[in-house]
Amino acid sequence: MKSAAVLLAVLLAAGMARAQVSLDCHFAPGWEASGPARQYTAENLYDYKDGAADGYLSYGFARMSTIDCKSGADMLTIDVSEMNDADAAYGLFTANRDPRLPIAPIGMGGQIQPQSALFAKGKYYVEIVENADNPNADHSAVMQAFAAGIEQRLQGRETAPEALQWFPKENLDSIRLIPESVLGLKLLKRGYVARYKQGQAFVVMETTPASAAEVFKKLREHFDGAAPAQVADEAFLAKAPYLDGICVFRKGRFLAGYANLPDATQAAALSANLAARIP
Amino acid sequence: MSSNTSRRDFLSTGLSAGLALPVLGAASVIDPQSAKAAVPAKLDYRILGRTGLKVTTVGMGCMITSDPSVITRAADMGINYFDTARGYSHGNNERMVAAALGARRKDVIISTKSHAPNKEELQQHLEISLRELNTDYIDIWFLHGKGSPDEIADDMIEVQQKAKKEGKVRFTGVSTHGGQQQLLPWMAQKGVFDVVLTGYNFTMGVDMDQSIATAAKAGLGVVAMKVMAGGLRRLKPDDPAYKKLTQQGGMLAALKWVIKKPNIATTIPSITDMDQLDENLKAMSNPLSAGEEKILSAHLDAIRPLYCRMCGQCDGACQKGLPVADVLRFLTYADGYGQFALGRERFLELSAEHKAVRCGDCAACTVKCPHGVQVARRCARAQELFA
Repeated sequence: MKSAAVLLAVLLAAGMARAQVSLDCHFAPGWEASGPARQYTAENLYDYKDGAADGYLSYGFARMSTIDCKSGADMLTIDVSEMNDADAAYGLFTANRDPRLPIAPIGMGGQIQPQSALFAKGKYYVEIVENADNPNADHSAVMQAFAAGIEQRLQGRETAPEALQWFPKENLDSIRLIPESVLGLKLLKRGYVARYKQGQAFVVMETTPASAAEVFKKLREHFDGAAPAQVADEAFLAKAPYLDGICVFRKGRFLAGYANLPDATQAAALSANLAARIP
Repeated sequence: MSSNTSRRDFLSTGLSAGLALPVLGAASVIDPQSAKAAVPAKLDYRILGRTGLKVTTVGMGCMITSDPSVITRAADMGINYFDTARGYSHGNNERMVAAALGARRKDVIISTKSHAPNKEELQQHLEISLRELNTDYIDIWFLHGKGSPDEIADDMIEVQQKAKKEGKVRFTGVSTHGGQQQLLPWMAQKGVFDVVLTGYNFTMGVDMDQSIATAAKAGLGVVAMKVMAGGLRRLKPDDPAYKKLTQQGGMLAALKWVIKKPNIATTIPSITDMDQLDENLKAMSNPLSAGEEKILSAHLDAIRPLYCRMCGQCDGACQKGLPVADVLRFLTYADGYGQFALGRERFLELSAEHKAVRCGDCAACTVKCPHGVQVARRCARAQELFA
C-alpha cells in the first residue's frame, strides 16, 4: 500500500513536471532573462494580474508560467497560461485578439503586433508583451521570433475548435468563445458567438441532450410569447428587447440559433442553415 | 453588425417611451407584450466628490461582460457610471463599451484607466482610449493599479493635467488594489486628483474606513470596486461557504453594505448577464436589512481567524515586540487583496530584529486577539511567505 502511494506520488510529480512549461528568453539574439521564471495558479493569479485574473479564471485557468526578458533597454514579459482544455485556450485568445486584424497561423491561431504577440496552441494560451519606452517602436520581428520559439516548445492541437467551422463565413465579423452568459442570458452558460454584419449566431454546448432539453425548456419560458418553429429537434421564435428577432433551436446536446435580426422568421431561416452544419 | 442600431432605434421609439414592441412581420403570432422589457428601477444617486457628477450608487464594471446588450440595458435601466480600462481584453473591452453606449454617450459617465509605465505610453493610451471609446472626452481617467505614491511619477500627473486642460479628460484619478492606507491620504494631500477607485468590501477593517474618510473629506470622489469578490475571492465555487453565501443573497448584501457607506459615491460590480443586472439594481431600492447583515456577519465569522480589523488592541502585546497588526496587514495585502509584492515589500521594511522573529519558536503566544484572529498562526504564515 505504502509503495503504491509512493509510486502514485512519483507519477503525479512527473505529470506536474511535464505540465510545467520550461521558459527562458533565448528566442532572439541578445535577449536574456531579467529574473527567474515565476509560476502562478488559480489561487494566486491575483498576485500578478490583479482584477484581470477574473478573465483568465472565467475561461478555465489551470496555471501560468511567466518570465521577464531584456535586451539592452528593451524589456518584454512572456505569460504562458495552461488552460483546462484547448477550447479554453482558444477562447481566451479570441477574447484578447484584435478582431479587426487577421489571425496568423501560429498554433491554433495567433496575432503578431509591433509590441505584442498572442497565440493559442493546445491547452496553452501565450501572451508576449513588450514594455517599451517608445510606444511607437516596431518590434514585430522580435515578437515573431519569440512566438515561433515558444510555439515549438508547446505540445497540443494546432487546429481551431471544430465548432468554428459550423458558422457560415459570409458576412462574418468575428467569432468568440463566451465563457458564461451567452447573449447576456445566464441560462446559456458557455458557447461560441459569431457576429455578422447583421445579427449574431450562437452555439452553446451542453453536456447531454437531456440537459440541453432542460435549458431549452427554461429558455422558452423566459421568452413568454415564444412561438414554436421547425428547426432541428425543437425550436422557438421570439422578439425581445436587446435580442430583437431571435430563433433558438436544440440539436442533440447543442443549443444554437440567431439573434438581433429584424424579424424572427429571418432568424429561423438562418438557424435552419446553421442546424444543418452542426453534426 | 447592425444590432446596436436596431436596439437604439427600438429604445428610442418603443421602450423608453413606454410603447408596445414593434410589430413583427411573419412572426406576428408572437405576443409582443410578452417579451420581457426593462422596467425602470428605483435609483439612488450621490455626488462624486469634487467632480460634482451625480452618479448612481450602483455602477457597472464592464471588465468581464461579454455581451454588450447587458451594458446597454444597464444604461436603459438608469445606471449611469460605467468602468473599463485600456488593458481589459487588450482593448476589446473599451470597444465593446463604446458600441454598447454609443447613442447614450452624453447621458453616462465613462471611466477608463491606463496601466502605462511611463508618460509617453500614457499619452498614447489616452489617444487610443479616446478612439476606441469613440468619444471626444473621457469622464474620468485613472492611472491603473497603483499601490503606493512611489508608483505615481510627477510626469504622469502632468500628462493627466494636460489632458484635462485640453478637454480630453474631464476628471483624473488613481485606481488601487492595495496600499490604500498610504496612498489615499497622499492623494488627499496632493490635491491634484478628483477621484479614487479602490477595492472596498465588508471584510475590510476600520483602517480602510479611515483612509476612505480622509480621501472623501479632501473632496476626492470615492468609487468602490471588488465590493463582492474581495470578500469571496478566497472561496472556491465548490466551497460550501461560497454556495451558502451566494444562495442566501450574500452577494447582494455585500453590495448593499458598501452602498450604505456615505463616503462611497458609487460602486462598480462586474455584471455578466441580465439576471445579475436585475439583482444589483435591487441594491438601490432596498437598503441592507438586518437579515442581510446577519448573512455578512456569519461570513465574517468564518473568515475571522484570518482577517485583522486593525483595532490596535494587540499593540505591545507580543513578548518579542513584533508589530502584530502591521504583520497581519502585510499578510492581508497578499492573501486578501492579492498584492503579494506589496506585502513582501512592507514586511522587508521591518527592522532586522522583527524580521528575524519566528512565531513557531514561542511556546505560547502572548497576543490574544479580541476578534478571534489566530495571531500566531497568521504571523507564522507571513514569516513563511515573506521572510
